[in-house]
Amino acid sequence: MLISVNWLRDYVEIPDSLDVRALAERLTITTAEVEGVEHIKTGASGLIAARVVSIDPVEGKPSLKKVELDLGGKSARVVSAAPVLRVDELVVFAPPGASTLESGKIESTTVADLPSEGMILPGSAIGIPASDKDAIFCPPSMKPGESIDAKMLDDWVIEIDNKSITHRPDLWGHYGIAREVAAILGKPLKPYPVVDLEKLSDKKQSEVPITIDDANRCPRYSALKMTGVRAQAAPLWMQTRLGHVGLRPIDCLVDLTNYIMADLGQPMHAFDGSKIECIEVGLASDGNTFTTLDGIERKLSSEALMIQSNRKSVALAGIMGGLESEVAGETQTILLESANFEASGIRKTCAALGLRTDASARFEKSLDPNNTVLSIQRFVHLASAEFPELQMASRLSDAYPNTLADITVEVDPKLVTRTMGHPVNEKQMTDILTAIGFGVESKGGKLSVKVPSYRATKDISIPADILEEIARNVGYDNIVPRLPEVQVRHFTANPQHITERNALQAFCMGLGYSEVHLYIWYDEEWLKRLGFKPVAGPVLINPSAAGQAQLRCSLMPGLLQASDRNRFHADAFKLCEVGTVFREGPDSRNQSRHLGLISAKRGKGGDDDLFAGLKGDIETWAWQTLGGDLQYEHASKNAAAPWTHEHKTANIVAKGTTIGTVSVCPLALRRNIDEHLSAWSIAWAEVDLDLLHDFKVESKSLRRVPEHPEVEMDFSLLIDAGSPYATVNENLARFDDPLLRRVTYVGAYEGKSVPTGKRSLTYRVLFGSPERTLGEEDVSAVKASFEKHIGSCGYELRR
Amino acid sequence: MDVGELQQTLSKLHQEAKADLAATKTLDELRSVRSKYLGKTGSVGSLMGTIKDYPPKQRGEVGKTLNSANKAIGELVNEHTERIGSAEVAADAATSTAFDPTLPGERSRLGSVHPVTAVQWEVEAVFERLGFTIEAGPEMETDYYNFEALNIPPMHPARDLQDTFWLKNGMLLRTQTSPVQIRAMEKFGAPLRCIVPGRCFRYETIDASHENTFHQVEGLMIDRNVSIANLIAVMKLLLNEVLQREFEIRLRPGYFPFVEPGFELDIACLICNGKGCATCKRTGWLELLPCGMVHPNVLQAGGIDPNEYGGFAFGLGLTRLAMMKFGIRDIRVVNSGDLRNLVHSDRWAGPVILDKD
Repeated sequence: MLISVNWLRDYVEIPDSLDVRALAERLTITTAEVEGVEHIKTGASGLIAARVVSIDPVEGKPSLKKVELDLGGKSARVVSAAPVLRVDELVVFAPPGASTLESGKIESTTVADLPSEGMILPGSAIGIPASDKDAIFCPPSMKPGESIDAKMLDDWVIEIDNKSITHRPDLWGHYGIAREVAAILGKPLKPYPVVDLEKLSDKKQSEVPITIDDANRCPRYSALKMTGVRAQAAPLWMQTRLGHVGLRPIDCLVDLTNYIMADLGQPMHAFDGSKIECIEVGLASDGNTFTTLDGIERKLSSEALMIQSNRKSVALAGIMGGLESEVAGETQTILLESANFEASGIRKTCAALGLRTDASARFEKSLDPNNTVLSIQRFVHLASAEFPELQMASRLSDAYPNTLADITVEVDPKLVTRTMGHPVNEKQMTDILTAIGFGVESKGGKLSVKVPSYRATKDISIPADILEEIARNVGYDNIVPRLPEVQVRHFTANPQHITERNALQAFCMGLGYSEVHLYIWYDEEWLKRLGFKPVAGPVLINPSAAGQAQLRCSLMPGLLQASDRNRFHADAFKLCEVGTVFREGPDSRNQSRHLGLISAKRGKGGDDDLFAGLKGDIETWAWQTLGGDLQYEHASKNAAAPWTHEHKTANIVAKGTTIGTVSVCPLALRRNIDEHLSAWSIAWAEVDLDLLHDFKVESKSLRRVPEHPEVEMDFSLLIDAGSPYATVNENLARFDDPLLRRVTYVGAYEGKSVPTGKRSLTYRVLFGSPERTLGEEDVSAVKASFEKHIGSCGYELRR
Repeated sequence: MDVGELQQTLSKLHQEAKADLAATKTLDELRSVRSKYLGKTGSVGSLMGTIKDYPPKQRGEVGKTLNSANKAIGELVNEHTERIGSAEVAADAATSTAFDPTLPGERSRLGSVHPVTAVQWEVEAVFERLGFTIEAGPEMETDYYNFEALNIPPMHPARDLQDTFWLKNGMLLRTQTSPVQIRAMEKFGAPLRCIVPGRCFRYETIDASHENTFHQVEGLMIDRNVSIANLIAVMKLLLNEVLQREFEIRLRPGYFPFVEPGFELDIACLICNGKGCATCKRTGWLELLPCGMVHPNVLQAGGIDPNEYGGFAFGLGLTRLAMMKFGIRDIRVVNSGDLRNLVHSDRWAGPVILDKD
């Protein structure tokens, strides 16, 4: 919202010596965020009003007009580019010798071979950018030749972030901002200039009949009929101010309602009084249409609140008037509406219609119902000066079925001081609150604070709200920071946090993985390339892009996409993501945290090495996190995702629980993604970290160095290629001999010296005794008996 | 062999050993020469075993003769050990002249965490030192935790400020980490000190400075007598520690339904030091940290008595902080998975000799 400093000066004395930027800074710190400050400098001098006498076309130049002007006793001929000019109307004119910053010094010149003695000024030249190239019309009260006071054209404009005042209906007009400025500067706020209520309450006048069907949606509706208005320009000072705050001057009546909206924050609507006899406020019929004054026919739902007259819709309540009852050039009587509408109803209707206006934006903030009458008083005050024939055609009619309750908040000054952590005495509190319109009474050590109606609609209702008013006016920068004094308390660690930090520390701060963060929704295009159809899962109603509605149930599609991206820039990389995956189901298990790993390397035939390396990384992490070894189970081939290899896939098993899968990407998948990936090897793993929360890290005793030396020997076993490693282990572990201390796995080999259909597994065996050093004969005996055991298991020794 | 012959033999062997030793170039050669003569089966050593073949009267003399021969060769060996040793030292010193001790070492590839994680861990460390626990919560949330319990009833205008991703199952993607405030209160009650780092989602158009997926860290402290002065002190400490420098902060009114009063905490722009530049939109300040005193309705929703306890809460944009700390100009790289943008590759590539960036 834009705020004109000239305008503020109507209500509070702002010293000329005060830098407006400094004032803006203070507003930001105490009230609402200022987004920018602009100095409007027109450099105007020598401007006068001029009456248009005649308008003629310029041959061959359709955009130009030959205009004769009456300058009051003398005339001038100019060539003008103003798009709209009307005979007899007064315009702002710069005769030769006058100047503005935008046009420079005006001189008599020739345009299109015609003499041009001055310039009909465009709006932009005097700080009304909304009017751009349009001429500025003067009100009929001005005389041709009358000079224009340039002082009102220069101004400062403060831009306030609308988001910072969504909770402050009072700040949507200059008077509310002026109240804050007055408090900041310690100056009095001048009374709001209005006509006396009595003047509008002539009992001899009839009342405008007002019926309100839904008092919740329309707590108050005030109206007044007036005659003696006509189409004419608003006073220049008003046009200028409207222009400075971004509103385009149109016509005195419209400008008056806009001015009051920007002044008090109260939207008003002027109906053509000859077309409206009574006011009925009620809900629309579902499916009806209504043409708003922008000429658009709108389909209504039964939630839309309408203003009707004799059951004929005349306005979308609080949003926009209707085309038919709009004030037109010949209008002499108006019915002025100033109403209060309930905020969420307006919001809903605006959302349903896709229409937001300056008026609806304000009603959405829960406006003060007391402003309906006040704004009518203000209107009459301003209009009387412009329309000498203005007369009341009704008395002020006011339906107020849903009265705003008074709010009084009891505040404990000690609690205020304690919560601020800063000493403020009762007098300071009272002064601050009084300055911004609150009523304060001291009662038995407590402050009884009466909330003014413009803050009482939803903004302020509890002591914390009053505390904020005090604290922000004391100034947060005056509060001295102090660390809290606390009661020590022990919190049980969050297992999710611990598990994830451990995983990232192991993989990304030791094992060489680079962590990535990827989107939590699938990209259908990418899934197509993978040839993957996910099972049904949670789906977004409003995805960020088409085809990105389903939430991921695996980290792998994203990680594969990241791999495809990174392969251009590296010959090998390892990726890691810890993220959420989703599924439909009961709350407790509809999302879980997964660990996804990728190990990729350029070059064919690297599958087995990468697979083994990845498993080794997982085992290293498992040792740190779970304090023990993992097992692998041959995974079933059913229902596998396309990134799962038909044979080279294992379930990762920790303490009897399957926690994840490790595999390599099959060639078919890599080809589907991109031909170039057929020359890559990619191993991957995905682990459900939530399953690890209950695992305790067992602290194992370190192995003691034997007192008597042990003998180490390697045995390579030739086994059937199909015989699983786990079975071999079980069989070896059955060998029972007091001298056998330990068997560990060394490695597997398939190659030249191994017969087809077989593979070789190598184990390292330690023989020894805690009591003595073994002799040669002990060793050969136990070795022979171990070899015999191997033979009895059906395995051959590879020599 | 009589004693005389023995002496002759020994002196011959002495001469031979002398020549052999002189020819040695390495300690290995020296050791084999030594055992050739002095070893158990060596030419002198083996003679030691013959003492018992001499008549008892001669044995003393033979023994002396053998011993002195043995000793003499032993001394020769020592001399040559010395010679070869110093030659090797000299040779070693000579080869080392080509060695450049200033060359960089060979680096290990340890991996890298995401910039956001790196900053998150720093924030966690600061709060762990202050006795805060670290909590987590779900990314797919209910309307109740994300809005209602946080004093944002249906149709509240504040819902507009955070455009939401809605799910067909009636849930939503959390727009903030604040729902975990309620979850933590339900779990622990008061007094409570916790932070919650996590991912949040907002339905908005992505460009260089807007993302629909980003990280925040929520903070919550509930106790008796928690004040605005406490909030400012903790926020200042947090930012000073994480950004590793002192700078000005300011608190100004900000509206968030779940706090009252609510604040926006700005820091003096790190780019221009508060003078005003494009980054801070010429204001000299960067909006970084919405915070405030927990609204009584929120305490109540979390099952805590607002008459007994109060507290502060804040929400720090971790993604934003990571961008500031690591000079990331375009927010889109954060979720790109493109390692060129996420990893200090110099860390393992090797030292940078020239960098024109």
